[in-house]
Amino acid sequence: MPNIKVFSGSSHPDFAAKVVDRLGIDLGRVVTKKFSNLETCVEIGESVRGEDVYIVQSGCGEINDNLMELLIMINACKIASAARVTAVVPCFPYARQDKKDKSRAPVSAKLVANMLTAAGMDHIITMDLHASQIQGFFDLPVDNLYAEPAVLKWIKENISEWKTSIIVSPDAGGAKRVTSIADSLKVDFALIHKERKKANEVSDMVLVGNVTDRVAILVDDMADTCGTIVKAADKLKEAGATKVYAILTHGIFSGPAIARINGACFEAVVATNTIPQDEHMIQCDKIRCIDVAMIFAEALRRTHNGESVSYLFANVPY
Amino acid sequence: MVEIQESVRSRTVYILQTGSKDVNNSIMELLVMAYACKTSSARNIIGVIPYLPYSKQSKMRKRGCIVSKLLAKMMCKAGLTHIITMDLHQKEIQGFFDCPVDNLRASPFLLNYIVEQIPDYRNSVIVAKDPASCKRATSYAERLRVGIAVIHGEAKTRFDDDYEDADEDGDDGRTSPPPLPARQQGRLHSSVSMSSFMERSEPGAEPGPVTAAAAAAAALRRGRPRLRSAASVCFGEVDPSRIMSVGVTGVPMQAAKEKPPISVVGDVGGRIAIMVDDMIDDVRSFVAAAEMLKERGAYKIYVMATHGLLSADAPRLIEESAIDEVVVTNTVPHDVQKIHCHKIKTVDVSILLSEAIRRLHNKESLSYLFRNITMED
Repeated sequence: MPNIKVFSGSSHPDFAAKVVDRLGIDLGRVVTKKFSNLETCVEIGESVRGEDVYIVQSGCGEINDNLMELLIMINACKIASAARVTAVVPCFPYARQDKKDKSRAPVSAKLVANMLTAAGMDHIITMDLHASQIQGFFDLPVDNLYAEPAVLKWIKENISEWKTSIIVSPDAGGAKRVTSIADSLKVDFALIHKERKKANEVSDMVLVGNVTDRVAILVDDMADTCGTIVKAADKLKEAGATKVYAILTHGIFSGPAIARINGACFEAVVATNTIPQDEHMIQCDKIRCIDVAMIFAEALRRTHNGESVSYLFANVPY
Repeated sequence: MVEIQESVRSRTVYILQTGSKDVNNSIMELLVMAYACKTSSARNIIGVIPYLPYSKQSKMRKRGCIVSKLLAKMMCKAGLTHIITMDLHQKEIQGFFDCPVDNLRASPFLLNYIVEQIPDYRNSVIVAKDPASCKRATSYAERLRVGIAVIHGEAKTRFDDDYEDADEDGDDGRTSPPPLPARQQGRLHSSVSMSSFMERSEPGAEPGPVTAAAAAAAALRRGRPRLRSAASVCFGEVDPSRIMSVGVTGVPMQAAKEKPPISVVGDVGGRIAIMVDDMIDDVRSFVAAAEMLKERGAYKIYVMATHGLLSADAPRLIEESAIDEVVVTNTVPHDVQKIHCHKIKTVDVSILLSEAIRRLHNKESLSYLFRNITMED
């Protein structure tokens, strides 16, 4: 493909490699390093003048370093006369801080959006934003891809009892996402609501709906410390579910997450590779991975060719 | 035409305007007033907009506009330096504005109404009219210490929040076949088979044995064994069967999503059902939900909402429905509707707005006004 350059940040090189592999091009040469005072330094190793530049960087690992690196890479390409700079951010950082839910809470997602725009970004491609309203935080095009078709495919291929299963939301906020999946599979849904006193801390859980003698599939957009989904799984078992699966788009799995999953009653915990899962999969047998790099490759290719991307919103590319 | 008839130079100006029936005119009037104050050297221009219009259109569906964002931009551009509003449809809308937004909540007033006016409210269940309003329902349930139930599946309404319309972009001639995975194959001859395969798997094609076979064959031609080995190399000792790559095999076209028939998740039998939402505009979904709740044994049905728009023939529908009472606040004028329907009750929230303005003007903290608000509300 002419006039296209894809660069990878240091957060998820594997993902970038898969994307360019699919596109049939080479990854652009870029060196990212740190000065001794820990400032990030980026050297773009090839000409980008007049090119359509894509920078692949996910919000994972050292989030702040990776965000800074992305900003610097965007700016480096922009001032080197790139025709267009598109950020490909499989997992958008700070997406959970998208509203002022208590006094003086920052809307950091908006801040990140402003920073990316200020750095010179022209377009962003991401997946399953925590709230789709984040699209409105930007003044430029945002392509928010859905992992849902891939999730449906995984359920149909890997859970033999899916026709009698029940889709469960671990909190009230995810009810909409869950009903969308339940409707596609033509199965029932249930939800767990809780009284949460602080962030990342759960207390009383109440199950609404009937899961007795059924396979329960917990679905959420992200799981970090996994406290919520592990307690939800216990609750479901207690209520008579035969097996419990968890499916997440962004499996952050930080802190005690892996130990918690290892000790919980999950049949499997499924996450996409918007965040690197290799390490997690080695540490935990229960984690399964859905590779969504192809969806991004296809979105990137269509964007570059000026074709419609809407096809991807309903379908995983073949 | 707007004329500001007294001096505003170096003053703090509060403009009170709500999204009423004639919504576009009220927006335009607000913008013109704000800009008039700005050009007349007002120091601060604070918009008090109890009901922010267009807030349902806060996310992108297909190629749609995020109108709420556009409105936010327009208001900031017109010179508003601060917004006071109430019960935004989505709290994320706060992030659309480039100026501070104070999103007040009417829920303490509505909760107070429940406690004082509904005898036996302890035997009630809070009902979310659709899965999207679950969060709000739990916040009420938590504070009243009662259970919740969720209604799902309904007749389509005007403001349906789904992205489910059929799409006809598949064959507008702007879809080129994807290239081969690089470096894995001689690209020349197999590009032909690739493109023919792509044609078959385009939208509208039936996933049949032919496609499946073609997919398998194409996968083989694309050098799947090497792809696998590459995967297992980068995944170390992880069993490749634990990774599902969405690129390798086909996914059948999804049928257009259809909502299932209306049903209730959770128990409402022998209870008072209280439906809570942020606004009531088109009441048909509420009426359908109320019938469902009656059928399931709820003996009294209340509807609570902050913004009572009650447009079109809402009063008549409520009057004829199974709903016992509709409780709304006075963020939007609805006196005409009340004449037509005696079931509509109003809770006055003006004291909250005036207290917010007073505190803001005296540079005091507003957090006192949020003391009984949970994270979900």
